[in-house]
Order: sequence, then structure tokens, then C-alpha cells
Amino acid sequence: MENLYLRIHALFDRVARVAVWAGGASLLVCAIMVTGDVISRKWFGFTISGSDEISGYAFAASTTWAYSYCLLHRANIRIDALYNLLPNLLKAVLDVVGLLLLFGVMVMLTDRAIDVLSETLINESTANSTLQTPLWIPQGLWLGGLILFCLTLAFVSLFALLFLLRGNLPMVRRAAGVLSIEEEIDEETHGMGSRLSKPDGRT
Amino acid sequence: MLGVTVAILMVLVFASVPVAAVLGVLGLSLDAIYFDGRLAPAIGEITWDKSKEFILVAVPMFILLGEIMLRAGIAQRMYNAVAQWLSFLPGGLMHANIGSCAIFAATSGSSVATAATIGTVAYPEIAKRGYNESLFLGTLAAGGTLGILIPPSINLILYGLITDTSVPELYLAGIFPGMILAGLFMAMIVVACLFRPKWGGTKVETNWALRIRVLPDLLPPIALFVVVVGSIYAGVATPTEAASIGVVFALILAAWNKSLSFKMLRDAFEGTMRTTATIMLIILAAIFLNTVLGFIGLTQALAAFIDGLGLTPMQTILIVVLFYLLLGMVMETLSMMLTTVPLMFPIVTALGFDGVWFGILITVLMETALITPPIGINLYVVHGIRGGGRFNDVSIGAVPFVGAMILMIAVLIVFPDVALWLPSQFY
Repeated sequence: MENLYLRIHALFDRVARVAVWAGGASLLVCAIMVTGDVISRKWFGFTISGSDEISGYAFAASTTWAYSYCLLHRANIRIDALYNLLPNLLKAVLDVVGLLLLFGVMVMLTDRAIDVLSETLINESTANSTLQTPLWIPQGLWLGGLILFCLTLAFVSLFALLFLLRGNLPMVRRAAGVLSIEEEIDEETHGMGSRLSKPDGRT
Repeated sequence: MLGVTVAILMVLVFASVPVAAVLGVLGLSLDAIYFDGRLAPAIGEITWDKSKEFILVAVPMFILLGEIMLRAGIAQRMYNAVAQWLSFLPGGLMHANIGSCAIFAATSGSSVATAATIGTVAYPEIAKRGYNESLFLGTLAAGGTLGILIPPSINLILYGLITDTSVPELYLAGIFPGMILAGLFMAMIVVACLFRPKWGGTKVETNWALRIRVLPDLLPPIALFVVVVGSIYAGVATPTEAASIGVVFALILAAWNKSLSFKMLRDAFEGTMRTTATIMLIILAAIFLNTVLGFIGLTQALAAFIDGLGLTPMQTILIVVLFYLLLGMVMETLSMMLTTVPLMFPIVTALGFDGVWFGILITVLMETALITPPIGINLYVVHGIRGGGRFNDVSIGAVPFVGAMILMIAVLIVFPDVALWLPSQFY
């Protein structure tokens, strides 16, 4: 079962990683667009309208598509003041309970998000702006990320629960535990330490 | 109602439920108990509306800006340049730690990023020049906290967002307190090293010709600060637009330093999206919770409760400060701010305190939380750079700087104009 978990995890991680790169890249494109807008407004007296609207959509969609990445890398913020003092079994139970609660909230949100999109589709709503963006496009992208997150949550919760029932505490921890401080630092500063410590030869 | 809310909150928080789920579950339960579940159906609409809001786009943009700057390869040169100018003081390079953190903070909105960047560059100097390790590490942990006080600051954007306070005003209000706090940190180092001169390491060789020659290395961060913060005050750009311009500027800087690569961008994207998504999930849940709290009248109930205690405004603010100092020891700063500020803000402003001023006070309290054990993320960041030794060394080294922060809090309470004078010149 551990192998099955790791294989599915790797699959989700691949999808989540691509989603995160695409999200980051789209934000970078938005930054360039918005900069162009500010420059043309300031010095050339005309505005390319819509860069703010598009950035808003890109932001909404890229964020939901990154939720899965955070979950797979256990980046969700949890208060571990009491947690750290508990025995491993209780920690594992709390890991699973926390995940299930998050799953419940997200399923509920996603369900309502589906309502938002279907209403848009029925009314053929467009944004109240010069672009008149058909709203199903950004809302669809936004909802897609939420659905991916729910699937990821379902997968991780299910396996964490199974591991817990089988008494495989190390795997519960690996799937759903709070990151240790070392792991957290490593995630937050990845790739950076080695690059910065390179001497660059000047004084 | 107050009791039920606090009880649910406490149980979920101490059960270590993910903070976003804590806020979501709390919001949904309060809605179900006190409002017949009438708000729950609107959760999709509320979330979509906030998710695409242009002002919020400033959050990922400032994070992306910081991620690119981290990898742009300017930290080492900047540190060496600052060292030339500040290390004549008793305490030598420890002043360069504070100075570099302050300058880097002016390009970055995050305290963790600031401590990690400057810490990585400065750490090898401890062994090279025989500094007192504990105090040296303390300067890095404390200096890093300036990241959230000196603009651009991600925390101030979030504060502005949840309290409807102007972000440009908050940014202006943060500048002087940030500089004063950096000055207080340096004063602490001087005092410590006057008592124990050998804590201060061996001297850094310097002369005026060298000092002048390194000046250009300070230009990139200063130029970035001027472009980002300047464009907001010149009325050219909104905070989100300024952050976007900053991203483009940082990209050019990285290309100039030949640090721009496909891999570097990919790492920056991963870091950005990871932080953005973690924060946004909590913010969106907090926004829903705030809507519920407003509808069920909890904020008024809390205000009435505080009113019933019959305290003077000054006594109340002192209790608030004490509350945050204690909570900051055990709680992660961002979730602490997002869960408590929506409740505190109406109470504090009703007592006649200024919302912008309170934002700065909260930020200094968050900085304290970053370096008070057992949960002080900056202590762990610096400890992580060291890669060994006792964690207590870092905590002990940070103690004088916690003192400096408490002094800063006192200054803010006695002389609110320290924060409010600069914004009053513009607005």
C-alpha cells in the first residue's frame, strides 16, 4: 500500500508542479503587462485597459491550482504548540482529523463554486468592464483548481486514514504530519542557500 | 456567543487543525448556530469576488519580487558594501547585519526571506572574525524581522485588506519606526560590546577609497525601493502596480547580474505559488469568517464586553500588547494576525486610536513574535543556516533585541506621531 500511495503521490505531484509553474509564469506575464500599462499611461497618455482585470483572473486561477502543491508538500499552516507535546498516536489522529475537516470545508466551497459557474453559463454573464470577458473562462479555470485540490485532499485523507487504521504511524506522518522545523526551512528557502553562499569574488 | 466562539476556536487551534480549516469550520458553525445557515450558500460568490480582486494581486507580486531578489545575487555585494560603512562601530559586522537587513527589507516584504538572505551571507564571518556567536545570530534573527515593518511589507497589505486601511498610508507610517527600530538594535549591540569588547570580533579593514568604491553595490536595492515605493507616492501607481513594476525591475537586475536562468525562474515560481496559496487559503477563509462575525453581531458583543470591564483606553491597549506578546510566543504570526485583528481593530479604533497607528503597533508585535521562543520562525531560520549547535544560543542572542522591540512599542504608545507624522504630510 505504501508503494501505491507513493506512486499516486508522484502522479499528483507532477500535475501540481506543472500547475504551479504555469501559475507563476502567468503572474510574471501579468506583471509585465501591468508595468507596460503604467508606463504607457504615464508617458504616452493612453491606457491599455484590462491588464488589471486579467491579472485578477490569473491570480484567482493560479492560486487554486497551487493549493494541491501546498497540500502535497504539507505547507498548510497549523498551530503546533500543543501538538508537539503529544504522543505519536495522538498526533497521527489529529493529522487525519485536520485533513478531513479541511476536506469538508473545501468540498462545500467547491460545491458552491460549481453553482457560481453554472449560473454564469445559464445567464451567459460577461464582466462589467471594457473587456466584457465571458466569465465562464476565468471561473472555469478557478473551479478546475478547486476540483484538483478536492481530489488531492480525497486521496491524501483516504490514505492517511488507512495508514492510521493499520497503525502505520510513520506513513501518516509522511502523508499528513506537520513539517518539522528542518523540513520547513528547507521548503521555504529551497535552492537559495547554495546559490547565495557562492563567493562572487569582490569586496 | 462570545464563549461559544472562543471555545470552538481554541479546540480547533490546539487540535492543530490547518488554520484555513479552523476559520472555515468556525465561520460555518457560527453561521449555522446563530444565523440559520443563511450565509453558507453565498460562500462561492464571496470567495470568487475576493479571489480576483486587483488589490490582492499585490500579495503574489511582492512575494514574486522577493523570490527573484533572493536569487538575483545582489546580497553578497550589498552586505560587503554596508560592512565598509558601518563596521567602525563597536560590534563591527553585527551593525552590517542590521543595516543590510534594513536595506534588504526595503526590497522584500517578508521577514523570513530577509533573515535567510542576509543570514546566509553573514554567517561565515562569525568564525572568521571571532564574534560572540549567540549575539551575532541574534542580530540576524532580529534584523530579519524588519522585513515586515519597512515597506514593501506583505503583512501591512494584509492588515490594510482586513481592516480597510489605506496600504500607502501604512507604508509611509512604517518607514520611521523601521529606521528607529534598526537604530535601537544597533544601540543594543554597541552597549553589549562596550561591556564585553571581545564579543565584537576583529576589526574590518576599511578606508575612504574603499568605501567610495563599494557605493555602486548599494544602488540596486536602493533603486528598487525608490521605484516601488516612490511610484506609489508620486501617484503614478497603486500598490499592486508598483509591485508589478518591482517584479520587472528585479528581473532586469537578475539578468544584469547574470543570475537569470530557466531553473532560477522555476524555483522562484514554486516558492511564490507555495507561499501565495498557503496565505490565500487562510485569507479567503478569514474573509468569510469576518462576514459571518459581522452579520451575527459578534464584534459588537466583544466591544460591549470590553466596555463593561471599565478600563481606560491606555489600560486596554496595554492589555492588548500583553496579549500579543504572550500569544506570539506560541502562535505563527500570520495566522495570529488574520484571526485576531478583525476582532481587535473595531475595539481599538472605537477607543479613539488611529487605525494606521494600530497597524504599525501590531506589526512590531508580530516582529517580537518572530523572535520569541518556543515558536519564533526567525530563530529557526537562523538556527537552520547554522546547521547545528544548541537552539538556545539563538534564543538567548535575540533577548536584547526583544528588549529593543518592547522599547519601540513603548515609544509608539507614548509618541504615536513617530508613525503618524509622515502619512499626515501626504494625506
